[in-house]
Amino acid sequence: MSEKEHKVSRRQFLTYTLTGVGGFMAAGMLMPMARFALDPALEAGAESDFVRVASLDELTEEPQRFDFVVEQEDGWYSSEVTRVAWIYLANNEVVALSPVCTHLGCTVNWEGSESYPENFFCPCHGGRFERDGTNIQGTPPTRPLDVYEVQVEGDDVYLGGTVQR
Amino acid sequence: MKWNTTDADMYLKASEYVDTAIIPLIPLNWKKDFKGTVARGEFISLITDEIEKQFKGRVYTIPPFTYLEEESDEVRAERLKQWDDHLFKNGFAHVIYLTSDGDWKRVEEHLPDTLLWIPALPLENVEPSYAKDMVSQQIRQILPMITDKWQSGPKERES
Ligand code: FES
Repeated sequence: MSEKEHKVSRRQFLTYTLTGVGGFMAAGMLMPMARFALDPALEAGAESDFVRVASLDELTEEPQRFDFVVEQEDGWYSSEVTRVAWIYLANNEVVALSPVCTHLGCTVNWEGSESYPENFFCPCHGGRFERDGTNIQGTPPTRPLDVYEVQVEGDDVYLGGTVQR
Repeated sequence: MKWNTTDADMYLKASEYVDTAIIPLIPLNWKKDFKGTVARGEFISLITDEIEKQFKGRVYTIPPFTYLEEESDEVRAERLKQWDDHLFKNGFAHVIYLTSDGDWKRVEEHLPDTLLWIPALPLENVEPSYAKDMVSQQIRQILPMITDKWQSGPKERES
């Protein structure tokens, strides 16, 4: 997503510079505007640093919700945004899932509906996902939940950006 | 979904899934308790954004319905009804009015759909991380009101 946006603005940039100084100035004004217009919170795979989110001994096989704060850089503009991850252990591997429903972006909850234990549930249109984030056929989402990049150092669990599967 | 063109595109592709509009009701008053008025407006914007984040795929947050505090109950309720009517006729089966202004309570039963009145928390001198906790606790209480509303189905409008 971000890749594509950059390509467009690079091309825009070229076109504008080729049209002369006036164009150059216009590009200078337009590019940051285009950046602000993006919704960074939704972007999967946006570049980001690793942040410590949990310690290993807090984790179990049951997905648990962790909130954490990341610094979001948008050129010279930076802001703090809160992210959420559902983290659990699968064969001693740490798995961290993004809570953003792959249908239209609502926030899913583990066992969010009493009728569907052992599922992530989306309150908006009843989307469901297995424990490993696989979307369940017959519900609106068409791909699995995104996963966070995970790094474990000693007892500390760090999360990076999200990756589409 | 938010009031920007990116989300507008998303809406145009998936409008059948988006049946709920949230209208923040934000007053203006320079004469009396100016800062309190600003604080209440700010708080409601914050809550609106948070709800949007949770329910992005089903909820559209509309630009605020603004009014002078001196505007009479009848007139503002009548204007809000027009907004409601417009949204309802354009695919929003649920319309939620979100406010920190207790005056709306007086006209609540004359409104066509659901008023959520959320008294503003005094966040100004609170440490940011604590303020965040307070807000997310509020949100946790508000979200079920919205999912319950979905469960019980749209309110009838008298035509
Ligand atoms: S946004 Fe999750 S099911 Fe539609």
